[in-house]
Amino acid sequence: MNIIEARNLTKTYVIGERQIRVLDNVSLAVSKSEFLVVEGSSGSGKTTLISLLSGLDKPTAGRIFLEGKDITETTEDALAPMRNEIIGFVFQSFHLIPSLTAIENVMFPAELKHDPEAYDKAYALLVRVGLEKRSDNLPSQLSGGEMQRVAMCRALVNNPKIIFADEPTGNLDSENGRAIIELLLEFHRERQSTLVLVTHNTDIAARADRMIVLADGRIRPESRHEN
Amino acid sequence: MVAFALRAAMKISTLHRHFVIRQIARSKKQAAVFIVCVALSIVTLIALNGFSDSVHSSLLKDARALHAADVIIRSNYDLSAAVTGHVRHLEKQGLANSVRVYEFYSVVRTAENQGSLLANLKVVEHGYPFYGRMVLASGEAFKERLRQGRIIVSQALLDRLGLSVGDRLNVGRAQLTIADVLLQEPAQPVNFFSLGPRVFVSANDLERLDLVKKGSRVRYYCLLKVADPRQINRIAEQLKALADADFVQVDTFRTAESGVKRFFDNFLFFLNLIGIFTLLLAGIGIQSTLSAFLKEKEQTIAILKTIGATSQFFSRHFIIILSLMGLVGTVLGLLSGFILQYFVHVLFAGLLPPNVKLIISAGAMLEGICLGVLVVGLFSFLPLHRLRDIRPVSILRKESFRSAKTAPYFVSVFIIFVFFIGMVMWQISDAQTGFYFIMGIALLILISAAGAQAILFVVRRLNVKPLVIRQALKGLFRPRNATRPIIITLTASLSVIFSIYLLEKNLDATYIESYPPDAPNLFFLDIQPSQLIEFSEALGRRTEYYPIIRAKITAVNGEKIIRKKERQKRGDNLARTFNLTYRNHLLTDEIITEGGALFRKDWGDLQVSVLDTVTEIRNMKIGDHITFKIQGIPITARISSIRSRKRESIRPFFYFVFPEKTLKDAPQTIFTALTVSTSDISELQTRMVQKFPNVSAIDVTETLSRFAQVLRRLSSVIRFFTLFSIIAGILIILSSILATRIARIQEAVYYKILGARSVFVLKVFALENLFLGFVSAGLALIFAQIGSWAICEFLLDISYSPFLTRSLSLIIASVVLIVMIGLLPSSSILRHKPVVFLREQTQE
Repeated sequence: MNIIEARNLTKTYVIGERQIRVLDNVSLAVSKSEFLVVEGSSGSGKTTLISLLSGLDKPTAGRIFLEGKDITETTEDALAPMRNEIIGFVFQSFHLIPSLTAIENVMFPAELKHDPEAYDKAYALLVRVGLEKRSDNLPSQLSGGEMQRVAMCRALVNNPKIIFADEPTGNLDSENGRAIIELLLEFHRERQSTLVLVTHNTDIAARADRMIVLADGRIRPESRHEN
Repeated sequence: MVAFALRAAMKISTLHRHFVIRQIARSKKQAAVFIVCVALSIVTLIALNGFSDSVHSSLLKDARALHAADVIIRSNYDLSAAVTGHVRHLEKQGLANSVRVYEFYSVVRTAENQGSLLANLKVVEHGYPFYGRMVLASGEAFKERLRQGRIIVSQALLDRLGLSVGDRLNVGRAQLTIADVLLQEPAQPVNFFSLGPRVFVSANDLERLDLVKKGSRVRYYCLLKVADPRQINRIAEQLKALADADFVQVDTFRTAESGVKRFFDNFLFFLNLIGIFTLLLAGIGIQSTLSAFLKEKEQTIAILKTIGATSQFFSRHFIIILSLMGLVGTVLGLLSGFILQYFVHVLFAGLLPPNVKLIISAGAMLEGICLGVLVVGLFSFLPLHRLRDIRPVSILRKESFRSAKTAPYFVSVFIIFVFFIGMVMWQISDAQTGFYFIMGIALLILISAAGAQAILFVVRRLNVKPLVIRQALKGLFRPRNATRPIIITLTASLSVIFSIYLLEKNLDATYIESYPPDAPNLFFLDIQPSQLIEFSEALGRRTEYYPIIRAKITAVNGEKIIRKKERQKRGDNLARTFNLTYRNHLLTDEIITEGGALFRKDWGDLQVSVLDTVTEIRNMKIGDHITFKIQGIPITARISSIRSRKRESIRPFFYFVFPEKTLKDAPQTIFTALTVSTSDISELQTRMVQKFPNVSAIDVTETLSRFAQVLRRLSSVIRFFTLFSIIAGILIILSSILATRIARIQEAVYYKILGARSVFVLKVFALENLFLGFVSAGLALIFAQIGSWAICEFLLDISYSPFLTRSLSLIIASVVLIVMIGLLPSSSILRHKPVVFLREQTQE
């Protein structure tokens, strides 16, 4: 069964008087527990595609299905439980809440669903990524790699079925970047979650079950459909 | 060469202009808040100064008209032969003209004795007034209309007794015809502190009235118009030398005090204090909003420094930016101040005569502009100075720079402090009061700051379980927050408003609302001793009669009382006329606190028992000697006891009580105080005054009711102006929300991405403002309760009630306002789409 399905997605932005078509009639299906890489040059529409598939944005045309449910017209508030329990995000710029400590950032999604074990789960994840001693530090007191690991733990605390990672190593050095990817893949394998990863890195792409290449808002024919 | 220089100059000026305009345009909202802060800092002072100018110009500028004469002789006793003789001499010499005036209260009755009321009578000789125009309804000249047998009355008298021009009125033993209606009296431009409406009577009817008797409470005047104005001072000095300074005041129109002027000077003085307080809070707002405005420019400034711009470049540009915004704010403040002046008029409606014209003086405008420039300059210096500390490297590392507190910081704080003191002294011209005011404000701000600091210290360390509350509290400490200035400003301004409210309520409760049902509500005064028996029979009810002997104190323990110095004291003083009495027993609400008994049997000399209130005016103890002058005769008495009253009440009380045998035969009048049901007051008053026309009757409840109306009106004026200080706090809240807008959007976006609904985000923002509101209002109420209690206890000497229910409603109202103000700009933050924010952040 496809956990994510996109049919004829088009996204157009209006900037001033210009209309910019970022995605053009893209159709895509992602299976449960699949590791999909989305590749493409800058401006090809990768982030836009991820935003649409995760429900963060609405398409100009087309439909999106998550776990078989059409979320195209679903409101922000109605999507909230889905984002909390089914989806996890890891961003290039980390996007941690600056006024919360590392452990508080990780706990947050679990607290939103009133999980009594929020703290324990969060702490266990931080231990897993080697940050137990940094759990009470604020994001401003963490390095880039540490912040991204915290962001990853936050994305995983509610055991999501789908992880969207948008260039998670984009702001990291190669060593940290490799470590992050390994952790992501580890969790993906362990929990059998679906992983949709945007990256430029061909080595990472080579490890995916499938890869799609976006160019000018369309999936290019040379996309690899299976590994 | 020239062409090159011109092109370079044009290029630079083009760069400046575009940079300046875009910097303002990109932070429109912060700029708007800054401009409003500047306007707020000057609006109340401009309005009050303008109003003061209008009042002085319309009512008080013409001192001659205010006093109706060049030289004014006044006394509570008939003038001595020496004084009147010299006046006649001056008239014979052609050096001056004079008129005698008698002013007193008496109950007037309708011709059929159906109604009566206490009126303020002014009996004048022909020729009055020498200056100022009395405006009558008929348009005729006052001097022509007021003749023997005729009276001129104010409209209020006609309204209250249901009379009209042509009707007859019983005044004393005479029945006189109402000839005209008085619309404007220069010597009494406002009458809200008079006990009754005005009635002018010709001096030719004085004897017929039969109201001026020995011991009657009459104010005697002799007004002179001097032929040669250069002789005014000399003539006044001659008269002073002849008059007994203890009983007679001789003044020129320049030196004479006007009660009206004193009232407006005092009231406007108090309002000016509030204006200065608002200026200070608005100054804090200016600094806070400017800091927020400049913080938004930090990245820009760092980038420009990276490519070679100097600190001088920024100083120049931002001074231009500030000057532009400050100018707009000053103009807005000026315009608002002039408009507000109109509303001050509306607030005073009914208390001011209609001829008061609004004026907008060039002086007030210039004052406003100078004030605006000063305020902007002073409160902007520090934020501008801090621009020097921005380092180019901050564009590479997301660090917030901290400015060290160096010499310019301390110099700036010192100059602001000196400016503030200067403002206070300029506006209120009384060094001692100014000092107390400054100390009071400084203390208020310091304890507000200490309270804010303590609470935030505790909150930061709290372990709060509920997520939404935890996030709300964390929001108080987000980067660029202005939590502390918000709490300080709101606490300080709310403290003042709450204090005024609590004081008003306590004064109301003590003197007006809780008027005891068993307290006397009808006073009969000026009963002659020879009338006592007949009066008592006519009254037909048992009551206590109090003899009154009017006297002045001339010395205490041989030390002469310096009247001018005494009169300058705020509050009661020993220079005024006192009502002495005599009896051998204590009143029911009196106790002896020192001395054991009212009078000492073993003392042979004259004795007097004093009320403890007197010892508060000047330190006195048992055995001290006080010298009184009664009708020119000095008597010295030894203090035999000190009394106190068990509770504040409306019952008669006397500062000085003598043994019966000492003053029994002194010239005196008698008064009594009765408790009468409201419906019977009018009939009893009319009946008694018909039989005894010289007796004045005061319906205390009606008087209190009118007094309460005036008090409430004045309180509402004060509260209106104090509200402006709240606006300063609100502006800081708005500025803080704008300054932390990006951070708030970021939080809202993250919450939503992580699965929170919009209502969660709304709750977090609402709780944050709820906390600010509760802390500020809570602290303000504590300070206000303490301050009001202290004022009631030590200054006003009345009992204090905390009005807890009303206090709670004050807190709730404040919290609701603050939450609404805080949430309004947040609505756009809630609507911000997560994906848009993320895209912007990623592009960075």
